[in-house]
Amino acid sequence: MIIDIISLIASSPVMQRALLATVLVAVIAATSGTFMVFRGLSFLTSGVAHAALGGASLGLFLQATGIAPWFDPILGAVIFAVFVALLTAYAGERGVAQRMEVAVGVSFALSMSLAVFLMYYLPPTMIPQIWGYLIGDILLLDNLDIVLLVGTALSLVLLVILFKKEFVYVSIDMEGSTAHGMNARGYHYLMLIFAAVAIALTTKAVGAILVYAVLVAPAAASNEILKTVNSVIIGVFVIALASMLAGLAGSFTILASPSAIAGLIAALSYIIAIQIKRFTRKD
Amino acid sequence: MSTQPPLIEAENLSVKYSNGDLALEDVTFTIDSSTFLAVIGPNGSGKSTLLKTMLGLLKPNEGSIKVLGYDAKRAYKTIRHLVRYVPQRDQIEHTVPMKVKDIVLMGRLLKKPPPRFSTTKDSECAKAALHRVGLDELWNQPFPELSGGQRQRVLVARALAGEGPVMMLDEPMSGADHDSQVRIVEALQEYYNENQVNIIMVTHDLNPIHMVVKDVLMLNRTVMGVGHPCAIMDLDLVKQVYGPTAKIVELDGHKYCITHDSGIDRHDH
Ligand SMILES: Nc1ncnc2c1ncn2[C@@H]1O[C@H](COP(=O)(O)OP(=O)(O)OP(=O)(O)O)[C@@H](O)[C@H]1O
Ligand SMILES: [Mg+2]
Repeated sequence: MIIDIISLIASSPVMQRALLATVLVAVIAATSGTFMVFRGLSFLTSGVAHAALGGASLGLFLQATGIAPWFDPILGAVIFAVFVALLTAYAGERGVAQRMEVAVGVSFALSMSLAVFLMYYLPPTMIPQIWGYLIGDILLLDNLDIVLLVGTALSLVLLVILFKKEFVYVSIDMEGSTAHGMNARGYHYLMLIFAAVAIALTTKAVGAILVYAVLVAPAAASNEILKTVNSVIIGVFVIALASMLAGLAGSFTILASPSAIAGLIAALSYIIAIQIKRFTRKD
Repeated sequence: MSTQPPLIEAENLSVKYSNGDLALEDVTFTIDSSTFLAVIGPNGSGKSTLLKTMLGLLKPNEGSIKVLGYDAKRAYKTIRHLVRYVPQRDQIEHTVPMKVKDIVLMGRLLKKPPPRFSTTKDSECAKAALHRVGLDELWNQPFPELSGGQRQRVLVARALAGEGPVMMLDEPMSGADHDSQVRIVEALQEYYNENQVNIIMVTHDLNPIHMVVKDVLMLNRTVMGVGHPCAIMDLDLVKQVYGPTAKIVELDGHKYCITHDSGIDRHDH
């Protein structure tokens, strides 16, 4: 069984791409999902993934109707993602997480409604492209998807290496950081905009389902039980990677989407983390 | 000392929030450097607003305020360089797994440009600061798992570890039990006596710090009183600020101020 899978991977470009994407998405989860959870904003991930859907359908609509043939759906996805990030960042300028959640909720509703609204005016042949944003398939990636993932992962890694402390300080004490002379507002916007663009591009590449699956739950799980920022980052990478590999392997043995299996396992990791925390607290 | 500009100089200062609330109105006062200043007043009296305006986090609607001669509206960058600040408790999030040492080091690293590496000297200062508040043994502990009072002490240590001639603390003793309050007051007093530093502490209870402060500023949307602690202990004034139930009691040559929310404020004649 295992031998079969390994030889399949070695011989198949589809599997090679899927495995590479798995590692890249795990890197994106570790760098972007982690900081969203620190900021109390895991909800932004699903908000942005849906906004990307709305933006992509707007792009398709503009192309189909000939209003703006140059308007690529990816451009729409990124613009909408940045819009959500800006609205959320503006609501959270004073550092209060609750207000940001409302902003995410509102823009979520807005872009989802727009997507569904525009779908009625699109030629039926284009609808699958929109659904691709929702239910992508890690076994059906093309070269553009891989390029997007590589670019996103590399930029996020660089950003975290450069500004990890700043992002952490903004999350803990925005007001105090500003008062000590740090440009906390700038880092606050940088963090949210970068995360949003990363989420939008990842959504384009692998679909929103996998994005929810590995950008939220593993970060929440790691943050429950691990005690340092670096260990949480590594924890997210490991859980996300393991969930996706299990998803891939599982999709060969049972007939199910790898994303769905990965999502189930990642969600399970959060439930287990909470149980571990509860258990260790009693001692 | 007399050649130095005053620590705070406010002139007809008014501050309005975006929703139209006038939090401070026609505030004029001067506090000389160096001092240990207590800013007191009931809830919603504008104490935090005053600190934030001094830091340039809020802009004056009218008038001006200067810190060590620097105008808070124009020269806020210079002021932020001089100040170490402990925000009011509800501003601190506990969603990030930071160690106590990371929080204390923040006081020093925030003043550096990125990448904000910590040196041996930074660690030594942070350790010394944690020692001052009596929490040496928590150095490697997770900050979110501490009690409310311990967290407050760690945040005071964060300010003590830093550098800069002005410390601003917004209710550093809220949520702290009696022991923690005593440790905080002792640490600040000791630090004040040993260093050339100004301390501005917002509190709604003067009692725990009556012996250590040099000046008191009493606010209630505007300046109700300013001066040495003795001058503030006036029955009419206290009733005006804290309501008709406020009392001043004399016992053993000390004046006690009893208000409905703050218990007993005592200070020497
Ligand atoms: N962000 C804000 N937006 C609108 N109004 C505000 C805001 N912050 C404070 N206020 C209002 O300004 C007034 C002064 O608030 P401030 O926080 O300065 O009081 P405080 O003396 O620090 O009170 P406390 O003892 O409760 O900390 C209050 O009436 C408050 O409702
Ligand atoms: Mg206050």
